[in-house]
Amino acid sequence: MPRIPIVMPQLGESIAEATIIRFNVAVGDTVEMDQEIIEVETSKAIMGITTLCGGVVKEIFAEENTSYAVGSVLGTVEATAEEIERTGVSTVSEGVSDAVDNQGRQSEEETNLHFKTEDGGYFEPKDVAPTVQGLPVPAGKKGAHYISPRMRARMDELGLRAADISAIAGSGGGGRVTVEDLEGFLEYISEWPASPASPMRLAVADAMRRSWSRPLASVGHPLIMDKLLDHRRAQNPKPGLTLYVLRAFALALAEFPSAAGFLIGEKIVHPKSFDIGCAVQVEDGVMVPVIRQVDTKSVSALSAEYAELVDQSRSRRLPEHATKGGIATVTNFGTFGLTWGTPIPLPNETLILGISAGVKKPVWSDQVNAFVPVIEAELVLTFDHRVIDGGDAGRLLNRVAQLLSEPEKL
Amino acid sequence: MSVTYIDAIRDAQYKALETDETVFIYGQDIGGFGGAFKATKGLQEKWPDRVLDSPISEDAMVGMAIGAAIEGMRPIIEMQFADFSSVGFNQIVNNAATHFYRTGVPIPITIRMPSGGTPGSGPFHSQSIEAIYSHYPGCIVLTPATVSDAYHMLLEGIAMDDPVIYCEHKFLYRWLKSDNYDGDGIRLPIGKARITRPGKHATVVTYSAMVHEAVRAAEMLQAEGWEIEVVDLRSVKPLDTDTVIASVARTGRLLAVGEAFPWGGVTAEIVARVVKEGFHLLDAPPMRLNAKDTPIPYHPKLWAAHRPTPESISHALKQLLAY
Repeated sequence: MPRIPIVMPQLGESIAEATIIRFNVAVGDTVEMDQEIIEVETSKAIMGITTLCGGVVKEIFAEENTSYAVGSVLGTVEATAEEIERTGVSTVSEGVSDAVDNQGRQSEEETNLHFKTEDGGYFEPKDVAPTVQGLPVPAGKKGAHYISPRMRARMDELGLRAADISAIAGSGGGGRVTVEDLEGFLEYISEWPASPASPMRLAVADAMRRSWSRPLASVGHPLIMDKLLDHRRAQNPKPGLTLYVLRAFALALAEFPSAAGFLIGEKIVHPKSFDIGCAVQVEDGVMVPVIRQVDTKSVSALSAEYAELVDQSRSRRLPEHATKGGIATVTNFGTFGLTWGTPIPLPNETLILGISAGVKKPVWSDQVNAFVPVIEAELVLTFDHRVIDGGDAGRLLNRVAQLLSEPEKL
Repeated sequence: MSVTYIDAIRDAQYKALETDETVFIYGQDIGGFGGAFKATKGLQEKWPDRVLDSPISEDAMVGMAIGAAIEGMRPIIEMQFADFSSVGFNQIVNNAATHFYRTGVPIPITIRMPSGGTPGSGPFHSQSIEAIYSHYPGCIVLTPATVSDAYHMLLEGIAMDDPVIYCEHKFLYRWLKSDNYDGDGIRLPIGKARITRPGKHATVVTYSAMVHEAVRAAEMLQAEGWEIEVVDLRSVKPLDTDTVIASVARTGRLLAVGEAFPWGGVTAEIVARVVKEGFHLLDAPPMRLNAKDTPIPYHPKLWAAHRPTPESISHALKQLLAY
């Protein structure tokens, strides 16, 4: 009768192998389809391996307390032709049969990808049909993220980064993307419309890619803007809304400087001066001019400098030194009408504070015992979670909101 | 008519004696007896004063040849076994190899080294010495793997002005046959490696008898869909890095195979060169496969386990391909 392999299934993303804890059946037992026959433990959880169809357990090659790669054949179930047809499973391929005949099982000192056969050769799971019931086989422990020197050299030649090849399914050992896969992908997209990315776009891409290598988290806090907007309207010239946020952020950070520190090895490096950047959307990218010592100057004193830096950014005339040395950034994504967002800090900064568009909302007032209309925006702080935690971020954001509720003091 | 590897070596010496009167052969029992492997059979009859028996002293043999070379002769020394060339080591590496550098006078001697293992030969009659002599500046080290190369490279070696270490593999002596000296394909100059078998998935770089083992391993893997390129170095010094790098550029994977002991040596040199000059070509860490790091066993089964075989080469290739 035909034999159906019992295969170590793909148990989750990034899981390459699992350890068998217990067999719930023995050779000769009758099993039903989807019966849980083996318990395995991965780095994440304990799970059961089920049969693909009903039948009799014919062989078990695997051992308890041993780890096997995804795709490894752990045993076989002998099933009737009718059962196989009913469940639509594929039977054991030739390669597996040979290994079975040789009582092939894993050698402890070899990697889990090898089955040693009696003649001293090796049976590779590669010989198994590439999928069993749609399960991908196998996720090697080298992982899809390994880039060989050859692949790296070809990518350098083409000016590609690791992130650029994430779209490519690898056909190499352990699911690696090979040069051939890459060339095939490039061929595939070669007919698609494409346009050159500007140097500004590439610079932003590079900064964001570098920044994304850290564990970033975002928290939000509502901000009632009415007093702020009233204060702004009363000034001449009117300061930018972003400038108020910039100033409040600097004052809050001056009280809690370690929040803007960055982690280097085993040290938190603290800011020396509260120089805050301000994201300015320009054609095909973002520029971040930095305003110096924002904690020491009032909004009105900063107003002219701020306006000039924004103008210089938009006209692409920003001097290079004006983009250096920031410890945190403010971005007003509300100017695009957005009410929600999770901005990403610059790679050399731990914090970015975003402000959304103001929305008119009814808010209950105890003073007048009725709903009153207010303009509410969202303050969002994204932080490097290695440096501070949600509580610290919340405290900082609370303080910013509190400072913004008294705009005349800014 | 079928020509064996040892026939080719004898015929090349015949031709050298016939065409260049400064050539003579000196070695133990090479005259009337025709040499331990009959590589000089019948030559003394034809040239009694140019095919000379030596005392059992490798030191004296090489020393005499150096003196003759200084005087304008082109001696061929037959070591009975490459293993015993160590007795003449000082003459070879200190005198012959440095002489031109020291004096401007070349030493055109050719030392024939019956090398490599055969079943049951044990520690003193099986060793491969090409790496030792390659280590010293001044020697050319040849390792022919085909009948044609055995013939033409010996003649070329005799014609060279440098001391030449000619490593002839004893396993190939009577096993390897060809219809004629030019029957093994295109002739190449010394210093140029040959692509014995083209492939695209991995490169095996090897030389001498291991070329044939590697080709068999490649044939075994062909059944599984792998195309293995086999590069025959032909001469280990000079070593044709360009051909090796070009092959790795095609395949991305390197296995260097040698019959010599694993510590250092030709395979390590190949890997070092590929890593330095071709790192950007590699899809996997380069691998080496050599004999075991023990004296060479007598028992044929132990001997077969000691040296690289088609099975162990194909196993190593599978590991390389799976990386």
